[in-house]
Amino acid sequence: MATTEQNTKRRPWLFPVVFVLVLAAVLLLFNIISKGLFLEWTNLKVIISHLIYPCFIAWGFCFLFACGYTDMSIGGVVVLGSFASCIFGNWYGLSGVVLGGLITGMLLIFINFLIFTYTKIPSWIAGISLAMIYEAIAVFLKLGKTTKPLVSTALATEYRTLGQLPWSLVFLAVGLVVIYFLYNRTTIGLNIRSLGGNRDVAEKLGINVSKTLLAVGLITGVLIGIACFLQQSYAGQTTVKTGLTSINLIFQPLAIYLLAQIIQKRINIIICVPICSFILYAVFNILTVLGVPSGTLQEAFLGAFIIIFGVIGQRKAKGVVK
Amino acid sequence: MKRIKVSDIVPFAAFIVLFVFFTIVSKGKMVSAYSLKMLLEQSILTIITACGVLFVVAQGSIDLSVGVNVALSGVVGMHIATVTGQGWLMIPCSMVIGLIVGLFNGVIVSKCHVPSFTLSIAMLIGVRGVVNYIQTIIGIEYIPESMLFVTTSTFRIIAFIVIALIVLFVFEFTRVGRYSQAIGENETTARFVGIPVDKMKILVFAIAGLMAGIGAVFSMATVGGTTMTMGAFLEMKVAMAIFFGGVLVTGGSSARFYKVILGSLSITVIVYGLSLIGMSDSQISESVEGGLLLIILFITILTNRHRASRKKAAEAEE
Amino acid sequence: MGENFLEIRGLDKFFGPTHANRGIDLTVKRGEIHGLIGENGSGKSTLLSQIAGLYRRDGGEMFVDGEPYDPHSPIDANRRRISMVMQELGVVGNLPAGVNVYLGRTGQFSKFGIINMRKMRREAAGQFEKWGLDAPPLGQMTDGMMIESRKMIELARALSVDPELLLLDEVTQSLSLNNRNKLYELIRRFKDMGRSVLVITHDIDEMVEITDTITVLRDGQVIGTVDSRKTTPDEIRMMMVGRELSGDYYRADNAPSYEDEVVLEVSGVSVPGELEDVSFELHRGEILGFCGLSDSGIHAVGKAVYGLSKRSAGDVYLKANDAHIVNPTQAMQSNMGYVPKDRDNEALMIHASIRDNFCLPSLTELKGAAGFLNPKKLGKLAGEMRDKLSVKCTGIFQPMDALSGGNKQKVNLGRWLAKDLKLLILDCPTRGVDVGVKAYIYSLMNEAKRQGIATILISDELTEVLGMADRLMVMKDGKVTKTIDRGPDFTEQSVIGVMI
Repeated sequence: MATTEQNTKRRPWLFPVVFVLVLAAVLLLFNIISKGLFLEWTNLKVIISHLIYPCFIAWGFCFLFACGYTDMSIGGVVVLGSFASCIFGNWYGLSGVVLGGLITGMLLIFINFLIFTYTKIPSWIAGISLAMIYEAIAVFLKLGKTTKPLVSTALATEYRTLGQLPWSLVFLAVGLVVIYFLYNRTTIGLNIRSLGGNRDVAEKLGINVSKTLLAVGLITGVLIGIACFLQQSYAGQTTVKTGLTSINLIFQPLAIYLLAQIIQKRINIIICVPICSFILYAVFNILTVLGVPSGTLQEAFLGAFIIIFGVIGQRKAKGVVK
Repeated sequence: MKRIKVSDIVPFAAFIVLFVFFTIVSKGKMVSAYSLKMLLEQSILTIITACGVLFVVAQGSIDLSVGVNVALSGVVGMHIATVTGQGWLMIPCSMVIGLIVGLFNGVIVSKCHVPSFTLSIAMLIGVRGVVNYIQTIIGIEYIPESMLFVTTSTFRIIAFIVIALIVLFVFEFTRVGRYSQAIGENETTARFVGIPVDKMKILVFAIAGLMAGIGAVFSMATVGGTTMTMGAFLEMKVAMAIFFGGVLVTGGSSARFYKVILGSLSITVIVYGLSLIGMSDSQISESVEGGLLLIILFITILTNRHRASRKKAAEAEE
Repeated sequence: MGENFLEIRGLDKFFGPTHANRGIDLTVKRGEIHGLIGENGSGKSTLLSQIAGLYRRDGGEMFVDGEPYDPHSPIDANRRRISMVMQELGVVGNLPAGVNVYLGRTGQFSKFGIINMRKMRREAAGQFEKWGLDAPPLGQMTDGMMIESRKMIELARALSVDPELLLLDEVTQSLSLNNRNKLYELIRRFKDMGRSVLVITHDIDEMVEITDTITVLRDGQVIGTVDSRKTTPDEIRMMMVGRELSGDYYRADNAPSYEDEVVLEVSGVSVPGELEDVSFELHRGEILGFCGLSDSGIHAVGKAVYGLSKRSAGDVYLKANDAHIVNPTQAMQSNMGYVPKDRDNEALMIHASIRDNFCLPSLTELKGAAGFLNPKKLGKLAGEMRDKLSVKCTGIFQPMDALSGGNKQKVNLGRWLAKDLKLLILDCPTRGVDVGVKAYIYSLMNEAKRQGIATILISDELTEVLGMADRLMVMKDGKVTKTIDRGPDFTEQSVIGVMI
């Protein structure tokens, strides 16, 4: 036992170094394929500004999954939060943008959490039901038939600075540091992870389960809230989703999270998230440059990507996998 | 004799309450022969697909790729039939493609230990991309004239009943179903007893894929051909139907055939009932559907709580 | 500071209709090692859990140092310097070992909300060192660690509150001899320091050996408290069951008795990291015992024979069926049976019905035309086995988890006896069951022996193997070091010498 434990312990830096080298090589390769277009600053800017709000959603997933929840309604929440961000932004300016998105996101995620925690309905199924409700509300707000719809215009350009570089990058950097410490180095972070690991043990060690769960709800809410106003600031406009299509919104963050989870044994998951989202959007970017149609074959690549990483990541996995 | 548990009654009760409620508010329209037929026809696709997923859920896994599988196998199966001019090929080709996708899922889950949730979400994203790509090239296709008999409701209902009976037999009265339940109850136990766990996993995903292929035929039979949104969010509907019927996510012995039927019918009753009373407006019907789902799931879980509390009491006695 | 650290008077606890503790009176003195013993369901764990703050009591009083004591949570108990190592709790797998030691109390290492991980790891290492225990790698996730290492982390967790009273619930059963000895040493140190230990164990000999005082519980009541030096294991057994145990607890004969026909040939089996070149033959009606320390490979033998582990070399040949066993499915279909060590996690489907648990291995035999499984046939098999083994239950559709440990084990064993077996592998078949069921299981083994079933008996309890086996194989580091035939050499002394 001792020898195997030492073997894996011996060079913890090896994997990250190899990982970064491979990554750099791949990026260079992309650059060559795209005849130098890929690494141009304007192109990188497109990638980076695009990955920021999915990043926050993926971080939200880190906390959600850590305590065993999968919330399928986050897409619906982001749509509603973006609406709020838009309405209040146009009314009250920048503070409206931030508070509108943040408060709506927090509130809705908090409601979700109350439902998950107290009804004990498996979260992803409850999430589907909630997504239906949120979608219906969004339709009502945007396409009201009898009254004038509440959300009729896009967010004014002057209030969209937060979603553009360099502000969005500041959000990302601050977010990374704060979330890293929150997840790894605070009591609440450890308690949250213990709930995901073994709820029974956590409970018997005197960790207040409901309090911790509500903390998860709050943290995820803040993260999703930030994602809401960043999304609205980035895109300016949000389309209504019906018939559960809002779930499509979370596929990319989910893919980021799943990728991050696969390499988390070697690199901390919170740091993995921005790296993985960069990889993901870089691949999308290069595919677009190469003329692969978006929305069809690019999605196919995304799916294949997750499966391949999943297979590699679980190569040595033992025990029960559902 | 076997005692009837409260949790077994909930799916029945939910169905009856919903049915009676909509019968009353629709002033009896719900019980007309036409309505009942519509109810069944609208449930067929969900039930057929859910029948396959039931095996997967019984093992405690989940298959969220059946929706796109319906689309892929339908689109490709139909295209083969159109290109070759052999209309009958549509059915076997759809089934074979569904089966292949299912086998792929099964092999990845059992041999590569990728969690089924992750895998099937990836398939959901990826295969949908492929289907969209294919459809941008070949467009929508219609069922060839030689095969139009599949669109008649007589054919669909008879075929549905035959298939449902086969699934009922396989799930409830053969080792396939029993072993799947055992794997859901405790996979380690199943393996230690000597159940071929890996083979069973591949088998159930293959069954789910095959049923999706059959579902594709039903889906095309209902609208007369392929559509751009074929099978969209069917996997969510199927999952809802199964859990609505009172099956627990952990599967095991809570997975029963009748629950799938009841769950699917209940969901159709909500959708159809709302349209009967003139509330088919998508926003209202969607939110009511969502809300009702939450409530009924809550009751199901509540009545299953004794499972947890009983365990606690047993632990305490040790 | 009085002589009594903990005093309990008239303690009551109910679980629904079950009266788990009835008016318990118990006193733990300072510097006393107090044992608690009783059959399954006698209320020992419940009692300990109330002292540790896991359950609230329903009636009665508790005093610590003469002051009223009513813990609302384990944290409350820790504040009064009482901590517990629970029987089957475990650790959080996705957190490092060091964090696990202080989980729930990590706040003490944080400054401005940020935890100093290095300091926490250092202090955790300090706990292991202070009490002379081997520390697992503290920075590593506990997921991949062995059960024993995890148990040691739990022990360190309990010790980290610097307890005046340590509660140990069945800790030794998952420890190797080496760590057991370290634990005994730790208990002695507690005594020397004037601190107390309240310990539960099923191993009566161990109990008499390490404790000062023993309290016997039966049906939630205190039957009596005795001085360990003035009692015998037999006296305690009698108090536990309330009657004199019949004489044939173990086998009475003193010589091997089996037929010449070879049932199983195991040759040169190696499993990387677990077994090395293990070979033996097993005859009709023979009970072959395996004993050794818990990591010596004895449990791996059972798994390897049943085809559960990947072998790097060797062959398992079931001569009776002319089958070379490579996987468990083949084993199940070749008249072999396997009762794994961990009843609730490896053997039973605890939420499923008694019927389903009984029938699981026999489904292949029960199937009719087109694979049809007739529910009547399943019900008949389950009903017959329940009656034969007198499993206490309300019906064959009752869920497994409503049964007591002993009855669960009867189902676990009975489902194999329902088959036409050639070979039965038993891994710790009497683990965690009470004396009455234990004796019953031994009688079942004797019956199987008479029917000509060959049995492999793997056990942590040496006395059990000595009492039941025809031949005994001692293992160490994955290798068989000695084979002893039943006879004058069949003594603990001759085995222990080889084991360590």
